[in-house]
Amino acid sequence: MIKIENLTKHYHAAQGRIEAINGLNLEVDDGEIFGMIGPSGAGKSTLIRMLNLLEKPTSGTININGTDLTELSSQNLRAARQKIGMIFQHFNLLSSRTVLGNVAFPLEIAGVSKKKRRKKAKELIELVDLSDRADHYPAQLSGGQKQRVGIARALANEPDLLLSDEATSSLDPESTKAVLELLGRIRDEMNLTIILITHEMGVIKDICDRVAVLEAGQIIEEGSIIDIFSKPQKALTKKFISSVIDFDLPERIIKYVQKERPGELIRISFVGEKTHDPYISDLVKHYSVDANILYGNIDEIQGVPFGTLVLDLEGQLTNIEESIAYLKSQGLRVEVLDNV
Amino acid sequence: MFNFITDLARYNELMISGSLETLYMVGMSLFFAIVGGIPLGVLTTITRPGHILPNKPLNFILDGIINIGRSIPFIILMVAVIPFTRMIVGTSIGTNAAVVPLSLAAIPFMGRVTDNAILEIDHGVVESAQSMGASPLQIVFKVLLPESLPAIILGLTLTSISLVSYSAMAGAVGGGGLGDIAIRYGYQRFQLPIMLETIVILVVLVQLIQFLGNQLASFFDHKS
Repeated sequence: MIKIENLTKHYHAAQGRIEAINGLNLEVDDGEIFGMIGPSGAGKSTLIRMLNLLEKPTSGTININGTDLTELSSQNLRAARQKIGMIFQHFNLLSSRTVLGNVAFPLEIAGVSKKKRRKKAKELIELVDLSDRADHYPAQLSGGQKQRVGIARALANEPDLLLSDEATSSLDPESTKAVLELLGRIRDEMNLTIILITHEMGVIKDICDRVAVLEAGQIIEEGSIIDIFSKPQKALTKKFISSVIDFDLPERIIKYVQKERPGELIRISFVGEKTHDPYISDLVKHYSVDANILYGNIDEIQGVPFGTLVLDLEGQLTNIEESIAYLKSQGLRVEVLDNV
Repeated sequence: MFNFITDLARYNELMISGSLETLYMVGMSLFFAIVGGIPLGVLTTITRPGHILPNKPLNFILDGIINIGRSIPFIILMVAVIPFTRMIVGTSIGTNAAVVPLSLAAIPFMGRVTDNAILEIDHGVVESAQSMGASPLQIVFKVLLPESLPAIILGLTLTSISLVSYSAMAGAVGGGGLGDIAIRYGYQRFQLPIMLETIVILVVLVQLIQFLGNQLASFFDHKS
């Protein structure tokens, strides 16, 4: 549905040319919640703002449902933008209009009759659970409520695509949770595609189907949430993941690793149904090694269990090696810990 | 001093007609300030780099007009535009003639006030309207003007008060109004009570304008 090819964005600034986005390629499927994460300055904001051409690309194409946005006349671009909703970190509501007026605003721009836009706006306000606030002005609302108004407004013209520019970054954890739940719900109900950028891995973990990690204007890693969380390749990805899932071994284990000891210390990572299989007992039964569980944790990402286990294997060296090979053959990720 | 009250009573009619002349001059030039200054200010803002219709040459010209208009002292402007005033009104004396330089001073003033008021709007709000597919015209009338309305009203208040003081100057050179009375009766004929009365009327007028302006601005302000 969305296909971005060879996208670049260069700025001219006092310090010379800044390459915000550098030959980026990306495909996002219909109905997907696609997250983009990166440190500040990675180009995420520039990238998402190019998806509705708030930011003009230097080169490259942005195809949405078969239309290349970069080729459109300004009039056609305005029509295309009506089908791309956007929500912002600072909400960007009109302070001079009530909640109802704000939600009806995009309909007014699209030329919908007053009666119809009132009706539609009321439905959307109901959807985001703010019916009792319809006549309030934005200044009278909390951050979470403002963002819900932002979402209702973004949905007014029944878009195919919703862009979220750090939509939860200025919200408290509770409002963040509520906003993310709402986004997930509207995706399911309206079969919307959502592209979001964030610097918080928690947001990615909670609602995204796929994620791309951005660094210096390029996607350095991309994949399904489970894949990225279970097999991160790049250091930056690992750093982001460690902010929501604790990869670090406790001090006790690190001390143990550094001590002289017989056998081998291994860390096994597993995802999904593999958590239910009895690998450890297989190990002990068939390879005559002793397995001592030193540390473990199991987390859940969007309902899929995901965990890591630290084992101390003792026995004949060949047996240990064979048992590690066995675990790997079962699709588990095994690391031998000799220095941590 | 003993005929202070009788003096004032004698000039009652004069005072009333003077006040009405002042109100007329201020009102007319305020009208032109709105009609000319607000569009000037809006155009100046939206042609700035990074705004909705960036246009460097046009912005340079408009900004220049505002700056030049604002930098000429009113008393000089008034004299300098006499030929122009004659061309439009047919005379350079009287309240109608005074409205010309007053408007010429008020338009750039209101232009700058509007420009500043619109610049106060968070650019994110403008961008959100752009992201919905709003045209520049829709952004001006549905976002920029409504969002800056309280600030524009306060700007109009400021302009009106400046106009009251400018109109007094215009009065001194034959424009009529309270300024004219203060100079002719109060200054040239040493009638201190008349001078004082014009001052009192002007002070009350300015207070009233400020009060109404504040009330109106806060009525439209939903930011807090």
